[in-house]
Amino acid sequence: MAVVEMKRVHIYALKSNRKKILEMLQRRGAVEVDSPKAAGELFSKTDTASARQTFEKNVQLIANAVSVLDAYAPPQKGMLAMLEGRTAISKKQYEQTAQAAPEVVKKASRLAALGKKIGDEEAEVLRLEAQIEALQPWLGLDISMRTKGTGSTAVYIGSFPEEMTAGDLKQRLAQALPQVSAIEAEVVSSQPQQACVFVVCHAKHATEVEGALRGMGFTYPAAPSKKAPAERVEDLKGRIQAAKGEVRKAQDEIRSFAADRESLLFTADYFTMRRDKYQVLGDLWQSPHVFYLTGFVPAKIAPRLQKQLEDEYSAFVELEEPGEGEELPVRLENGFFASAVESVIEGYSLPGKWEVDPSKVMCVFYYVLFGMMLSDAAYGFLISLVCGIVLLKFKNIEDGLRKSMRMFFFCGLSTMFWGVMFGSYFGDAIPVIARTFFGKEITLAPLWFEPLKEPMRLMLFSFLLGIIHLFAGLAMQLYQLCRRKKYADALYDVGFWYMLVGGLIIALVGSSMFQDMMSLSLNIPPVISTVAIVLAGIGAVGIVCTSGRESRGVKRFLKGLYGLYNVSGWLSDILSYSRLLALGLATGVIAQVFNMLGTMAGGGVVGAILFILVFIVGHVLNLLINLLGAYVHTNRLQYVEFFGKFYEGGGQKFEPFAAKTKYFKITEEK
Amino acid sequence: MDISSLVFDWDQLGIVFALAGAVLAALMGGIGSAVGVGMTGQAAAGVVTEDPSQFGKVLILQLLPGTQGIYGLLIGFVTLTQIGILGGSADLSLAKGLLYLAACLPMAIVGMVSAKWQARASVSSISLVAKRPDQFGKAMIFPAMVETYAVLALLISILSITSIGGLSV
Repeated sequence: MAVVEMKRVHIYALKSNRKKILEMLQRRGAVEVDSPKAAGELFSKTDTASARQTFEKNVQLIANAVSVLDAYAPPQKGMLAMLEGRTAISKKQYEQTAQAAPEVVKKASRLAALGKKIGDEEAEVLRLEAQIEALQPWLGLDISMRTKGTGSTAVYIGSFPEEMTAGDLKQRLAQALPQVSAIEAEVVSSQPQQACVFVVCHAKHATEVEGALRGMGFTYPAAPSKKAPAERVEDLKGRIQAAKGEVRKAQDEIRSFAADRESLLFTADYFTMRRDKYQVLGDLWQSPHVFYLTGFVPAKIAPRLQKQLEDEYSAFVELEEPGEGEELPVRLENGFFASAVESVIEGYSLPGKWEVDPSKVMCVFYYVLFGMMLSDAAYGFLISLVCGIVLLKFKNIEDGLRKSMRMFFFCGLSTMFWGVMFGSYFGDAIPVIARTFFGKEITLAPLWFEPLKEPMRLMLFSFLLGIIHLFAGLAMQLYQLCRRKKYADALYDVGFWYMLVGGLIIALVGSSMFQDMMSLSLNIPPVISTVAIVLAGIGAVGIVCTSGRESRGVKRFLKGLYGLYNVSGWLSDILSYSRLLALGLATGVIAQVFNMLGTMAGGGVVGAILFILVFIVGHVLNLLINLLGAYVHTNRLQYVEFFGKFYEGGGQKFEPFAAKTKYFKITEEK
Repeated sequence: MDISSLVFDWDQLGIVFALAGAVLAALMGGIGSAVGVGMTGQAAAGVVTEDPSQFGKVLILQLLPGTQGIYGLLIGFVTLTQIGILGGSADLSLAKGLLYLAACLPMAIVGMVSAKWQARASVSSISLVAKRPDQFGKAMIFPAMVETYAVLALLISILSITSIGGLSV
């Protein structure tokens, strides 16, 4: 079982080598820095917060610039870009970019400024267009909207909140002001709820006319234009053109940076790395000439790291077995087959201090259970095919994704296996096609049996698999306890449960009631049944006596009884495996439903076309839904039922000081 | 006139009850899942507005309450084939029809109720993932716990339906 063994490393080196050593450690990514809270009087820490902030600001600036660039010069990216992983660059290229960084930051600020400018200009265009919109009803007016009148006339330009014609207006003015005769009124435009009017009268009647107009609901326009509206609109259009021109210019300039995309991204990575480095730097204890770095390193690479540091950077390096009480960071390391499920374990929690890495045992069950839930040979083949192609074609794929792909590849293989066992290939597609389109009866006999015909049989098998899975979990607990030399606990917490549950199961299977119920005929000799019952009894008594062993007196007895009550937990754990049957049937039956829908139009060309359509859509849907179901429920069986028997997790992930870059990765030069 | 033709043949109702069962399973399971997936979908869309990179995770959580509808469909379909509506002869006694109806009820009722409650657990898990994306593995388990009871109901329904045919009533 492979939780990687860790060593504590102490590095003492001259400050003059500090930069080189930190950069080397960062590239190697092998040490998790863990500085002590206090060191001798001689040592102090440097405050690097402001430097880190500067780097962080640069990272943000470049990210912002790249998003501007992406908006106007989108990068050529295939659909499968996420599978391609980060581009590798050499150490030399890294150093070049480091030198060019200030240049790139300048470009980034220019890009960000251009992005902002485009935003501003586009807002301006919208504002101007709204102004033009507001002038539309006034286009018929050929003088300035601010005209107040001449020496002897008064002019009123404004609107009423209703539809009206010039005649209406004149009539109403005449009614309101019978004594005033010299009023000329024009309606510039009229539409429901707004009439724009122009009224002129002699200057001596100005106040009366204005009063009358106001009484009728007259208002002055909110933003009267100085020029005649038509002219004003022309002006505005000109300004819109200018703004649009600015936007185009800015866009062109942005596009001219398209070639700098790579260097921008890399510089972002460069600043991220420097930020991380300064973070570590701020954690180091330093004297005037020496600095001290300590942390964890995987035992396997420790000697080589020690040698390199001592030879090339004249540092003094000490390796030490970590103390008993220390919380060690956890890294899992497994072979080809088992490492694929590491992400599932990480999704729960990494192994805690006394726990083993469950990957190796878990992966077998994971694949088997997943396969049973999906259980269709064709679906399994498709999954394995897709994952296999991705694995072969994209060698540079990120590690986590590769492991998941590998996991689904094996899950697909297992699905194929169970599909053949249960005789399901796209459900019952082959017999259905043969019957509908070729008029032949083909039966693809399952290698084992057909679940829909004998669900009880599959359910029993599911329970059996569940019992094996749970007992394997208990065996893991046994192993963990024995490794810590807690043999008594191993007997109390594992041995007695094996006796109780195992004995009860054998006794139950031997009983005639159970055999009737399941229509089984297993001949279990009565001797074995008796032995099983006796064993179960011993187990039960043992559990009552020991599971409250931390307490004394009556409390101990009561806790013991409560411990025995956990047997109901076992019952529900085992019943939980019936989901293997349920999900397996779901896949098969829904596939059958789609096959049947496809044959609704019978044989012939039309029938074939319908069938193909329904077949593709239906089976893709079914595959996706059941893939999701199988994934979720396999995880559940692992997390709740299996881990419940021995695993709590709580380990901290090993997070070495490394180049945590987003876009590129640096390769050591050979 | 033949007197027997005037007597109502109760056994004609067998197929009616059996079909009612099949329909109820698909109907109620479907309602439950539609409500459930709708609830979780709203929560998931909310998360994606803030952080589009969580789409894959919240999509899985959204779909979790969708299985009850599928289980309902499954029970409905198996019942239809068993009672002979889809192929075969639809000849059922009243007692058998009622038996099929009863057999479909666990899936219908538990499916509808559990889908809704699973959706609530799922909505909470979606907000969990929004705040702590690294805890996805655990977030997935809480709704899956609710689904256990839908699976158990499915199991009882399917075991009943497949064995009713062999009974002599």
